[in-house]
Amino acid sequence: MVQYNFKKITVVPNGKDFVDIILSRTQRQTPTVVHKGYAISRLRQFYMRKVKYTQQNFHDKLSTIIDEFPRLDDIHPFYGDLLHVLYNKDHYKLALGQINTARNLIGKIAKDYVKLLKYGDSLYRCKCLKVAALGRMCTVIKRIGPSLAYLEQVRQHMARLPSIDPNTRTILICGYPNVGKSSFINKITRADVDVQPYAFTTKSLFVGHTDYKYLRYQVIDTPGILDRPFEDRNIIEMCSITALAHLRAAILFFLDISGSCGYSIAQQAALFHSIKSLFMNKPLIIVCNKTDLQPLEGISEEDNKLVKEMQAEALKTLVGQGGEPTDDDSVLLTMSTLTEEGVIAVKNAACERLLNQRVEIKMKSKKINDCLNRFHVAVPKPRDQKERPPCIPQAVLEAKAKEAAEKEKRKTEKDLENENGGAGVYAMNLRKNYILASDEWKEDILPEIVDGHNVYDFIDPDILQRVEELEREEGLREAGAEDDDFEFDGDELTPEQQEALAEIRKKKSLLIQQHRIKKSNAESRPTIPRKFDKDKQFTSERMGRQLSSLGLDPTLAIKRMRSRSASARGRKRERSPESKSADGRDGMDIDGDTPSKKQRLSRSLSRSRSVSRPPHEVVPGEGLKDSAQKIKAIKLAKKSVKKRNKDARRGEADRVIPNLKPKHLFSGKRSTGKTDRR
Amino acid sequence: MRLEKCWFCSSTIYPGHGIQFVRNDAKIFRFCRSKCHKNFKMKRNPRKVKWTKAYRRVHGKDMTQDSTFEFERKRNRPERYDRNLAENVLKAIPKIDKIRVAREERHHKNRMKGKTEKLQREAVKELEQGISLVKAPSVLQQDPSLTLPKIKVKVSQQQSEENHAMEE
Repeated sequence: MVQYNFKKITVVPNGKDFVDIILSRTQRQTPTVVHKGYAISRLRQFYMRKVKYTQQNFHDKLSTIIDEFPRLDDIHPFYGDLLHVLYNKDHYKLALGQINTARNLIGKIAKDYVKLLKYGDSLYRCKCLKVAALGRMCTVIKRIGPSLAYLEQVRQHMARLPSIDPNTRTILICGYPNVGKSSFINKITRADVDVQPYAFTTKSLFVGHTDYKYLRYQVIDTPGILDRPFEDRNIIEMCSITALAHLRAAILFFLDISGSCGYSIAQQAALFHSIKSLFMNKPLIIVCNKTDLQPLEGISEEDNKLVKEMQAEALKTLVGQGGEPTDDDSVLLTMSTLTEEGVIAVKNAACERLLNQRVEIKMKSKKINDCLNRFHVAVPKPRDQKERPPCIPQAVLEAKAKEAAEKEKRKTEKDLENENGGAGVYAMNLRKNYILASDEWKEDILPEIVDGHNVYDFIDPDILQRVEELEREEGLREAGAEDDDFEFDGDELTPEQQEALAEIRKKKSLLIQQHRIKKSNAESRPTIPRKFDKDKQFTSERMGRQLSSLGLDPTLAIKRMRSRSASARGRKRERSPESKSADGRDGMDIDGDTPSKKQRLSRSLSRSRSVSRPPHEVVPGEGLKDSAQKIKAIKLAKKSVKKRNKDARRGEADRVIPNLKPKHLFSGKRSTGKTDRR
Repeated sequence: MRLEKCWFCSSTIYPGHGIQFVRNDAKIFRFCRSKCHKNFKMKRNPRKVKWTKAYRRVHGKDMTQDSTFEFERKRNRPERYDRNLAENVLKAIPKIDKIRVAREERHHKNRMKGKTEKLQREAVKELEQGISLVKAPSVLQQDPSLTLPKIKVKVSQQQSEENHAMEE
């Protein structure tokens, strides 16, 4: 089905623009550079190309115009008439004719000048020829300028025509102006037609679409028609007349009962009768509109008679279609677009009538047999009167019945849950359906962990038996173990020997301790010779004690030591009580083991440290708070003294450098580096 | 709820303790505390780390094979619950424990059996070697017994005075 869509026609440029377009295209698309030194053939070719190119372009463009504009004779008569009504067939054809002649003229011009160019003997001459040719072509176009303008106007208007499909189901609405046709179409379709109180609001055809029984119907709204002789009608009325004439549609003739359109029923009836010839073979429905203002029953006698006449006419069309002659309601309907009562009824009636008519026509045509032949329903022929219902075995029926009953009776877990408080409150008893040897065991709780073991690891059906075996075994083993329990120890040490051993161990540990102390304070201990015996380790008393503990008699040794010491060194000076040092003897004496009572007392008093007391014990008169403080004081003192002791300095003020120029610093070559600095 | 064994030191891991490490080959290593975990990360072999059960077993310090260990075996198939069986099992577990502990003690005693003899011998040797620290060689010659020498104490006047004081 051809789409009557005139929107796809290309724009028709006006004369001047047309020329500009073509010439600029020639300028761009053909070579532009030429010199007079070129070969003559090349020059001729150059200019011929230009001329031909221009002609070709003109030809193409004009051809598209001619082809795209519809030929009024070839399209559906409805459109042909419509376009004639709107644009005047003759004028239209003339314009297109002019375009055609222009095309031919341009072709001729080009041919002629190409012929001339073939014999052009110089660049200048060829150029002049080309200029002349193009100039003439352009004048031709200039001359058809008005036609081009007219065609452009036509094209623009055509593009805005409603796309009416002349072959599909159509409902046409006609009547006097202002009777309510546009309101009606607004009501039943999505069209948005202007509705105004003045006449001729609708100036052209409007299309809307509506559905009925799953089929799409076009609804065409026409401008109002006045009762005039045919020749006097203006363009707008002619549109609707054309539509009425050519479209095979259901016609809704609108009648304004109340007369508020400005025309009486008589006038409208007159119109009806004058155009009833157009209603041939079309389902006609007379619609009385504006019943809210004036109901159908309330009109005057004459009007009623006129209406009845119209109805009779309408019935005739119905009869012509083969309907019942007594069916009044389907030809005369009342409605009010304002209150919307009866609108749908009207639409349905119209659609129904149209559909029936179209179906009938189709049935009568030859094509219907093709459709009917396409499908066939096969039904087996019954061979006798016996009834043969489907066979369902009894067991299945019973099972089905039982299942149905069970479904109603069985209580699901979900129901239980809902009863007891819902999802968050009720927890299902998972142990309910356990299969155990005894039902009492269902709620038993078995511990998982016992004494650091997993109970599940021990579960064994014959565990009792095995444990019994184990215990028996254990019993046996224990009995056997008792026999060889005691170990006889061979030679034990006697108590005296043990004593000796203990003593040996003590001595060994002491030695180890001393060694460790020596090792640990090696850093802070000054290395001084033995003659400066600060801790009085090397006294004769001590030696005596040690020798006697070993079992020897020390007296001889002590005597020898004394005699040796005195004779070896000799008395350097007279010993006088005053010259003796505070502790009763000077550092030179090895021993002082025969002190007088006085010396003993003085010694004990003048000793800065009492030997018998622990060092951290606070002695009254020292000025310290408690032993912790004293310990700290001792520590501090020791720390301050440690470095100096290591350097064997006598005190803070001792800055003696024993060797001002040690040789190793002031002599010798260096293995790497310079010896600038010493 | 299951008590697991630490992979490193083989102690039981109670719920809420330790770390589990799953390797890319899906082997699970459970550790009872960070000490074991850190040792594992250092790639130490538990068989060489003294305080682990693995070391003790490998080096024979603890009992390895015993029938009491057979009772506690991880079973993968659950048994159907039986109250009598459960009762028996719960009663049996402490008995088995007791026996196991007794056996371990016996094992330990066995291991330590030669200790006293060894100690004796060592003591004798030490005494023999070290007697020179407490007894002079000349004294030893005279009195060859390995005992402390008898010290001759010089009794002075003062001491006799003291003794009188003590008697009163």
